[in-house]
Amino acid sequence: MTGLVALLLCLIMGVISLIATYLAIVERDLLKALLFSAVQSTAYAFIYYSLAAPDIVLVYIPVAVGLYPLLLLIVIKKTERYERP
Amino acid sequence: MSAYRALILVSMVVFALALSYALTYGILRLEVPLTLRDLAKLYISTTFNPLKRELSAMTPEGVTAIVWDYRGTDTFFEIVVFYGAIIGSVALLGAVYRYPPGPGLSLIAKTVTRIVATMILVVGAAIALHGHLTPGGGFQGGATLAVSITIALVTFSLGALMLRGLTYGGMVALRSLGLIGIVLTVFMVVIASLTAGITAYVFQNQPKPGVPIGMAYSVDGIVFSGTVWFLNVLDAIAVAAGFALLFIVLIGGGVEGERE
Repeated sequence: MTGLVALLLCLIMGVISLIATYLAIVERDLLKALLFSAVQSTAYAFIYYSLAAPDIVLVYIPVAVGLYPLLLLIVIKKTERYERP
Repeated sequence: MSAYRALILVSMVVFALALSYALTYGILRLEVPLTLRDLAKLYISTTFNPLKRELSAMTPEGVTAIVWDYRGTDTFFEIVVFYGAIIGSVALLGAVYRYPPGPGLSLIAKTVTRIVATMILVVGAAIALHGHLTPGGGFQGGATLAVSITIALVTFSLGALMLRGLTYGGMVALRSLGLIGIVLTVFMVVIASLTAGITAYVFQNQPKPGVPIGMAYSVDGIVFSGTVWFLNVLDAIAVAAGFALLFIVLIGGGVEGERE
């Protein structure tokens, strides 16, 4: 991956992750907020890849896309789905 | 989405872009040096260098070399923190010895999971076993193995998997096996040096100046980097079992009448 492509990928994924983070914070439905958070994590994985850190990508994908959403899904299932205003 | 929220979002994006432009083009005088620093040169010249055998870690993958050889003690205490968190959650939620088998998801989901979970298991094992040659390592491989276990937990239900061997006691035993193995590997060279009548370092891998004893780094031309391979594999086992334990107590714990 050349430097310019890596920088462009970094830029686009950074903007996507920023948008997803904001949506995750303001969303009242916690299940949707969890999905936005997973989108943000996926964008971060691309950023790490474009910064030439494959070791971090390999630990980030299973933890941020697999284990962390499942952990929060179990917590949401055991508590409530909608945040009270 | 209301116009107010859209305005906040656009202003956040513009702020982030302006800040990154300023950082990239050095307007804020925070320029990144473009030449290699001395520390980077040291790591690159000693990571895998048979000509400097007494200083080299003999591990082709630089990050794993730093994690398990140069800074092994740091990694050891990271593992201690991770297991402390798991022990804390087990203490809070209680052990789960039995759980009623549920119906699980549909037949389509179960069939897909049978294929995909097996493939994820293979990938996780490859990441752990090849951690000293390619990007990856013990924690990465263990987390990938744990993903395979957790999607099986969601698809087949906890009770069904408990009947097939994914039990609380089994995961505790596997995790303990991994931890004991890591501690033994840490002291492997020390124990060997005691029989030879000299003293070695804790976490020592290759021979170091003043300590001529150490692990071999290859067998029959196959590089396995001494203790690094053992630490990677044992760490993967311990991390996968630890995550599985965490999800067993999270899904099945805290339910009255299900415990023995």
